[in-house]
Amino acid sequence: MRIPMHRFQYTKLTKDQIATKLKTAEGGPKSASPFSNVLNGKTLKIVTNDGPTLEYRFAANKRLTLTEGGKQVTAGYGELTLNQRVFFSHLIPGEQKGYNVFIDQKTNLATVFEVWTSSGIKQGAGANEFTLDDREVQRQIYFGYVDSGKAAPEKLHHYTNRMTGKGIHWTQDTGIETLELYASVANTNFVELTRHIDDLSYVSTSDYVLADDRTVIYNRTECEFSGIHTCFVADLYSVKQVGVRFGFNDKDELEYYMFKGDGEVVGQLAYLENFDDHGIRPMFAPAPRPAPVGGPAPAPVLPAKGARTTYRPVRTFAHMTDEEVHHAAIQRTSVFGVVTGTGAGAAQPAPPQGLGTGNNLPFSDILVGKEFTLRFDNGGPVRDYRIKEMFKLQYRDRSDNVWHDADYRAYEGDDNLAWFGHMIADSKPRASVQVAVDFTNGLATSIESHMGTPYYGNETSYRAIFGVAEMAGPSSLEAPLYVRHQLTDELVGHAFSWSYSDQTTSMHIYSSPHSMSWVIFTGAQALGAEWCSPCVYVKLRPGVYIFCQNEEACNGAQMIELLNTKASHDCGFTYNGGARGVSLGVTGAIGRHIGKFDIVGLYGPKRRNA
Amino acid sequence: MNILRRSFIWKMGLGASGALAATAALGVSNEDASTTDNPALRAALLEEEKALRKLHQAFEHAMDKGLHEEVIGMFAADIEGTEGAEVVFNGGIFKSRSHGVSRLYRDRFPAGKTGRRMEPAPGFELTADQQRDSVEVLPDLRSAKAVFPYSIQVGIPFETETSLAAMARLHGEGVRTWWEGGVYRVHYRKDVAGHWKISRLEYDMLSRADYRSGKSYAQPISVSRFATRFPADPQGPDDLI
Repeated sequence: MRIPMHRFQYTKLTKDQIATKLKTAEGGPKSASPFSNVLNGKTLKIVTNDGPTLEYRFAANKRLTLTEGGKQVTAGYGELTLNQRVFFSHLIPGEQKGYNVFIDQKTNLATVFEVWTSSGIKQGAGANEFTLDDREVQRQIYFGYVDSGKAAPEKLHHYTNRMTGKGIHWTQDTGIETLELYASVANTNFVELTRHIDDLSYVSTSDYVLADDRTVIYNRTECEFSGIHTCFVADLYSVKQVGVRFGFNDKDELEYYMFKGDGEVVGQLAYLENFDDHGIRPMFAPAPRPAPVGGPAPAPVLPAKGARTTYRPVRTFAHMTDEEVHHAAIQRTSVFGVVTGTGAGAAQPAPPQGLGTGNNLPFSDILVGKEFTLRFDNGGPVRDYRIKEMFKLQYRDRSDNVWHDADYRAYEGDDNLAWFGHMIADSKPRASVQVAVDFTNGLATSIESHMGTPYYGNETSYRAIFGVAEMAGPSSLEAPLYVRHQLTDELVGHAFSWSYSDQTTSMHIYSSPHSMSWVIFTGAQALGAEWCSPCVYVKLRPGVYIFCQNEEACNGAQMIELLNTKASHDCGFTYNGGARGVSLGVTGAIGRHIGKFDIVGLYGPKRRNA
Repeated sequence: MNILRRSFIWKMGLGASGALAATAALGVSNEDASTTDNPALRAALLEEEKALRKLHQAFEHAMDKGLHEEVIGMFAADIEGTEGAEVVFNGGIFKSRSHGVSRLYRDRFPAGKTGRRMEPAPGFELTADQQRDSVEVLPDLRSAKAVFPYSIQVGIPFETETSLAAMARLHGEGVRTWWEGGVYRVHYRKDVAGHWKISRLEYDMLSRADYRSGKSYAQPISVSRFATRFPADPQGPDDLI
């Protein structure tokens, strides 16, 4: 797959189309590995908490009969075992639902996933209300046990945070390789190493269930993408999995197969909850209802069936054309809080900073008094700078030879390394540059940013260009001929929390050479909501990098940061535009190194079809 | 119960016929009512004070647990010809139970996760004097004033369209919170059914700090007072002070 999942236009399959496709799978899932046969001839009654009671009779040829709520159906099923666990999966003929069931044959504990499509679930409110795509597989998890006539067990399987921060590279019996970074209690950051050609990482909503100290039951659903569902049980001692994949792929084909897989743990990030917090409550569960004064505590309100913590940013991201955005920019452009423009809104104060800036680095006077030329490679721009004061500069692009005044902000990101940004005058589409100038080594990198992508006028585009800095006078620079800053994968696998202010922290996972994800902490410092974007990394010096991302198909905003991993600090700029105009702002944060996945070796050009 | 913290106001001529009826029912003449010597009145006042303290406990509990509808129900209903209930908070006045007061407790406080009880920020504790409460029941037994200390979390949602804020909202975050300590200055009156209701509540903020439970230190914080009235601010006050 070449088109990134967040750009791919997945077909809005109808309920009828889905029903037709599911009919072909009523005989049960396929499997590259031979099915196991431990259930043949058995009858099981599975009792679940707050869920169904499922009475199964398993016959030969992978056929089962299920009695649920007095209704009896017969269907094909698939079955695989992992240690003492048996996992089986089947659909309910004629209905757009099925069950994935995990049974521990020693303890008789069971976890049941009810899965279904064409949910009709509505989310959002008012003008932002929308219905989930019919193709998006829903799931509801029930914890229970196999009724053996004895007393019900006191402890069932339960949600967990024990997988948080772990990364596993899985290779399935299908040949499919995935890298899964379980950085949140409610999401997975994953990379399709064989299905996709660009090794971009994506995020899907997930659940983590602890079966015992070595065994975890897991699922993820690729919401806002294909909607496909992957569910497995993993033994963390042997790092093996058995599971099922159910849903519709980018070609709208039904994938319903079981798999076995072998994994390798690629690292572990720290998770920052209190040590007595075991993640037993899922993130989507509502708080228990408080007791009225003097009265008994009412029962907690159960979350709606299928509830999960899923970020769906594009649902509320209004599309704007390039012209609309440029018109808005003429009306109102905010540069470091100073608003200009011809629209009524220009008289209003600038909107608050997109991100908190309380922990930003202070601005620097490193450029004051300097005149220099930045000459970028391969026919790139040549720009002259004259800077006499802290926040105002003059620049001239040799292509038009006209000097322009511009507001700027600069940081000293490392010794004698300037990092500054400003708008490009009279640009259409509106453009800005974020420039690193190494006054020790005579090197320069510019992130050339402008409004608009092929998809949205209100997204930003960026590219990194490399070149040299030339400066005459007593501090003259001798620019190198060959040495340059360069794109790098040195950050890949690392995770940092970035605290922009004391109340705004996000963890970045630099999950592949061209992409990253970010995770938001809950009040209890559990890692919760997560999303992802492509990005670039540039190495300026050892331990000093530029990281740039645009939140594509999200809110279109760009973050351009200089990361100094020696000081665990970043500083930089935000650039974004929309109906309220265009804004170039500043941002910066205090970092903590949360850990590292050893994953760089999984990336890079591969021999395909060899 | 600390008698010293309680004062009884014995000002007759307040005019309410209900007041006269109430004291008359206790066999208290106007002269008697000017002192606390009448045992029946004294007992009645103590009962009313107890009821008011219980009401305030219920108020704090409801605030702490986010039971905002219960909180609203503790305010005096809007009745034609009477002054509606009001709340004074952060430089704004929220008027009438069904409008401003409801807006404050139904919309603004939940959005800002405001009202939850929390321990005082270290170094910002109220003084013993500031923590002293008092309940003053008028002799008509139908109106009262009280002062109670408070120590609560206050907050406002992040004013940003960033993904960070949107994602934080998915798990109930995305709110800038801080600690406030001060005193509630409360006026009560009885409704027609004889139940105490809050007719006016003022959050008299005395101290404010950037602090959350579990943090090892606190710093002073400055928070802007309300500057925009309702409806320009959909959650704003009806009037500014």
